[in-house]
Amino acid sequence: MSNNRVSRRQFLNYTLTGVGGFMAAGMLMPMVRFAIDPALQTKAEGQFIQTSQKIDEITDVPVKVDFTFEQVDAWYKSDVTEAAWVYRDGDTVIALSPVCKHLGCTVNWEGDSAHPNQFFCACHAGRYEKSGKNVAGTPPLGPLDEYEVSEKDGFLMLGKKIPNTLV
Amino acid sequence: MYFNVKDVQQFEAQKEFIDTAIVPLLSLNFDEQSIKQSSSAAEYLMSLTSFIEQQFKGRLMLVPPFSYTEQTKSGLFVPLLKEELHKAGFKHVIFVTCDHSWTSLQDQIEVIWLPAIPLESMDKDVRKTVLEDQLKQVIPILSSKWSQS
Repeated sequence: MSNNRVSRRQFLNYTLTGVGGFMAAGMLMPMVRFAIDPALQTKAEGQFIQTSQKIDEITDVPVKVDFTFEQVDAWYKSDVTEAAWVYRDGDTVIALSPVCKHLGCTVNWEGDSAHPNQFFCACHAGRYEKSGKNVAGTPPLGPLDEYEVSEKDGFLMLGKKIPNTLV
Repeated sequence: MYFNVKDVQQFEAQKEFIDTAIVPLLSLNFDEQSIKQSSSAAEYLMSLTSFIEQQFKGRLMLVPPFSYTEQTKSGLFVPLLKEELHKAGFKHVIFVTCDHSWTSLQDQIEVIWLPAIPLESMDKDVRKTVLEDQLKQVIPILSSKWSQS
């Protein structure tokens, strides 16, 4: 018999601690993982959506650019098409939302021949200047919203809708 | 505006601005020979009216479609429907349909008849162009109505 033999009591202690440790770890690990999971989520890349509009084809005359994205509404997925009025102002590209701030119709560039160089809403004759600023005396109470703009491989990318920053 | 709670609340608050009701009249046919064509026409009518709604959201309300078959069609009293909508505060009531027979009521109701275009075989871009072209036919009717008042 060697001197450092393990007694029955010690052997049971070691095995119980070992097994107990595994069980505790088995319970705690997922909990810790769940707790820190939100911090590990990678952010979707700024939610920019690619359009088919080439950046260098944008002039200072607003053009309508359509873009489509997938909208998930609970378990129902649908493709939503939205549009933006895009033009160049100096070096920057500006994308305005076509949704009238009055009751949500779609505005058109120079939609009324009596008011050139303005956005026009056919529903209640609302008008906006090129910057999206609402013309006083017409129904809209605020300027048109703006889209965040980015570029990828020469194509225009549109991001979140933000309040107008030009006015 | 759609006929849902959120939009109806807005309609009640802004009655002087939302003065037009768009009512799709949708013919259903379940016969084996015509069911496919009927569904295609339904798809076209619903796409087109939603597109009109998107363009003129702040001035008109798109009412859910009134659907009928050949047998139940006689139970649909469209001029009565028009009266009820007028009473609800809509100055203009416009019926949109792919069924040519409604044009016979043209002296009583405002009806826009558009022949159905099979959208299902088109890809997204063509579909959009087609709908835009169709919308261009509807816009003059709407604006002439609106300029009267």
